Amino acid sequence: MPDRVFRGILRGGGTLVLAIMLLVGGFLTYRAWQALSAARWSFVTTETWEPDGGHFGIAAVLVGTVLIALVAIVFAVPLALGTALYISEFAPPRLRRTLISVVDLMAAVPSVVYGLWGLFFFQGHVVTVARWISTYFGWIPLFEVDGADPRDPLATATVFTSSTFIAGMIVSLMVAPIICSVMREVFSQAPVGEREGAYALGAHRWGMIRSVVLPFGKGGMIGGTMLGLGRALGETIAVYMIISPVFVIQPHILQNGTSSVSSLIALRYGEASDLGMSALMAAGLALFLMTLVVNFAASSIVARSRSGAASDS
Amino acid sequence: MIPAPVRRPRARRAYQALALLVALVCALLASHPPGAFAVTYVKISGSGSTWSANAIEQWRRNVRQQGMTVNYASVGSTVGRTQFANGTSDFGVSEIPYGLTEFGTTDTPPRRKYAYMPIVAGGTSFMYNLQIGGRRVTNLRLSGDVISKIFTGRLTMWNAAEIKADNPRLNLPARRIVPVVRSDGSGTTAQFTLWMSKQHSSLWNDYCRRAGKPTPCGLTSYFPNIPGSGFVAQSGSLGVAGYTKQPQAEGAITYVEYSYARNAGFPVVKVLNTAGYYVEPTASSVAVALTRAQINNDPRSANYLTQNLDGVYTYGDRRTYPLSSYSYMIVPTKEEMGFTKAKGATLSAFDNYFLCEGQQQADRLGYSPLPINLVQAAMEQVRKIPGAETANIDIKNCNNPTFSSDGKNLLAKNAPYPAACDKKGSDQCATGTGGAKQPTTQSGSGGATGGGSGSGGSGSTGGSGTTGGATGTGGTGTAGTTGGAGGTTNGGTTTGGGTTGGTVVDPDTGEVLGSGQSGGGDTTVAASPVSLGSGDALGLRTALMALSAVLLVGVVVGPPVLARLMAGRSRRDRGAA
Repeated sequence: MPDRVFRGILRGGGTLVLAIMLLVGGFLTYRAWQALSAARWSFVTTETWEPDGGHFGIAAVLVGTVLIALVAIVFAVPLALGTALYISEFAPPRLRRTLISVVDLMAAVPSVVYGLWGLFFFQGHVVTVARWISTYFGWIPLFEVDGADPRDPLATATVFTSSTFIAGMIVSLMVAPIICSVMREVFSQAPVGEREGAYALGAHRWGMIRSVVLPFGKGGMIGGTMLGLGRALGETIAVYMIISPVFVIQPHILQNGTSSVSSLIALRYGEASDLGMSALMAAGLALFLMTLVVNFAASSIVARSRSGAASDS
Repeated sequence: MIPAPVRRPRARRAYQALALLVALVCALLASHPPGAFAVTYVKISGSGSTWSANAIEQWRRNVRQQGMTVNYASVGSTVGRTQFANGTSDFGVSEIPYGLTEFGTTDTPPRRKYAYMPIVAGGTSFMYNLQIGGRRVTNLRLSGDVISKIFTGRLTMWNAAEIKADNPRLNLPARRIVPVVRSDGSGTTAQFTLWMSKQHSSLWNDYCRRAGKPTPCGLTSYFPNIPGSGFVAQSGSLGVAGYTKQPQAEGAITYVEYSYARNAGFPVVKVLNTAGYYVEPTASSVAVALTRAQINNDPRSANYLTQNLDGVYTYGDRRTYPLSSYSYMIVPTKEEMGFTKAKGATLSAFDNYFLCEGQQQADRLGYSPLPINLVQAAMEQVRKIPGAETANIDIKNCNNPTFSSDGKNLLAKNAPYPAACDKKGSDQCATGTGGAKQPTTQSGSGGATGGGSGSGGSGSTGGSGTTGGATGTGGTGTAGTTGGAGGTTNGGTTTGGGTTGGTVVDPDTGEVLGSGQSGGGDTTVAASPVSLGSGDALGLRTALMALSAVLLVGVVVGPPVLARLMAGRSRRDRGAA
């Protein structure tokens, strides 16, 4: 009997989560309908955002969102992987506890604090890195910066500020703790028997990690990365404070000016007209669907990999 | 066993005594409501303009001592008006009224009853971050035409001839101008674009056309940003000011209320007025300008007390700052949308505080106090707030610096006239502006300072750069400090040619940096900003970079490879043995 009650409660909880998500999606679709029916397919292809003028679309903001999230993941994953491996495999026990709480603390810092720190301190220092990359790798279209001339000693550094690159780096600091804690959790669950086995076969610690811990934690690594990607896609206030919004597709990640869906919503919701609000809801719906796709992809990858059962090798 | 029953009643008695004491304390506290204030105020919250936020922030801190809690969110005028209309805030603060049309969209007035009330005056100023030879420029002057050209992308370099014409004694560097504009809906943008649309309509309409907006375009709360034009958009006055003051934002210029530049410790542009003088937006120059503001004096009009600034822009007084304006509070006049009489009491007390005593602080905060007629009219508006406390305020005791016994605006009357060097012409004041009061090192102009630059040249060969002051000799002095080669080159040029020392040669590369400058003092300007080695893509720098990359790869890859090699050798050895 108590078992049945318990099962009932759990099932109810699970259904409730699903129902809430469906309701969120339904609400967004309902509110977005006015704008979507006005814009039709041009909503996906238009770059500008002028709902009151009748021209609006998410082509530019969606590309910006994805680029910021990708930059964030590129920086966050190596950082998180290294931290997680060090904490779970190398750190002495006392240091391990301190490190875990420090990483958790990093996750608990409000994003507005990261935004302020990024705007007033971090940006000034990263600009040098961005300038270096554009000077030597500017021939790659991704790193090209219009208006930057490395031969001009008086060239302004502002073309490197408020860029996708800087916003992505700030976001990476916010998603790294999440990725790190997921990975650490999985790494620490690598079966002791197989670890001992690897040592018995003469592996040194790196060999053991490579042949036991990493394959075992592959699912968790991908899952954690996807979880971080999901959060990076939706990160709002820090991005809002850093970027200089432009509504064109901006593939140059080092260059001033970018945009993201969530920062667009934060920027415009307070002053939107009826149609404007509906258009923002539509943008929100697009973000919602994109995060859903990312998370489903993540869960299917995790399910397909043999994480938690035994190691591959 | 025996002491236990004895102790228990004693303990019970102690508990009873304690409970009695607690009850007594509670009763005492209940009969004396907390706080020693005569009136208890309920909390109110408002939102809106960042232009006037610095003043409101100070006032609400002041009234907290009187037991008033006033929350204010500086989120921009547009959001402030929307939130007031939706009933999510008790009052709004905005630079522009409801009902204006921007790019064909009309900002509809709210359904709730409301009234406008001026709260403070101030100048929309242009804060900039510019250095000449490593020293901050604090005395930049610009005409309205040049400002409009900068913010419409028609002037892109600081060394443009038109900027030079406004600043005869500054040798501005060949640096990009980076206009920093607001990304959110802003009353500051609205005031600035209103001025541009009235005074420089062809430039502004041309910009709107390029940005794909319908023309003729009047004021807008959203600055249209043409992608790829080098403009930077940030949210909030604090955002644009914070961006502009960063060291890497050199060359940036933005529009904010004067107080933001003061707080940031940065200079503001002296703007040319109709009388031909360049004026800073101080409290007195704003007060002088706003004597020409036309206030809507029809109490039955929905826009009662709102401003028409056309006369301000063109006022011919020498002391006028053309971009002066008032900021407005939007107050509810009916109990609806969650606004109660209790809230009205707090709001009216707060309003009466800042209309009277608060105005004294306006100057210190970077604003300008309201004149007496607007204070009186605003206090009339306060009486329309439901539940307003009927305080009998004697306006004479407010110590507002604009009040006088004969009803004239004393602040405007006694405003100092600008110095002769602020007149449009060949001279320029060196004194600082805004939050940066230190004077600027100026270069010589014309023959009068030719001798000065000559002596500066000889100074540079001696290596003393400290003697250069505001006389225009500093230039060559600084050149002397930048390095032996550069110093002697410049010194030679200057002593040889006196006033002709025009071109400056980069000591590293031999490249000509500055050209067409006048006067020997110029050498300062272009001589020190040499920060990048130019054109030596395969030089020492690249070699060092490659070396460090190799070292990094070696550190990462080396140990495992080495370990494997050694392990392999030892295994082989063992195999051989």
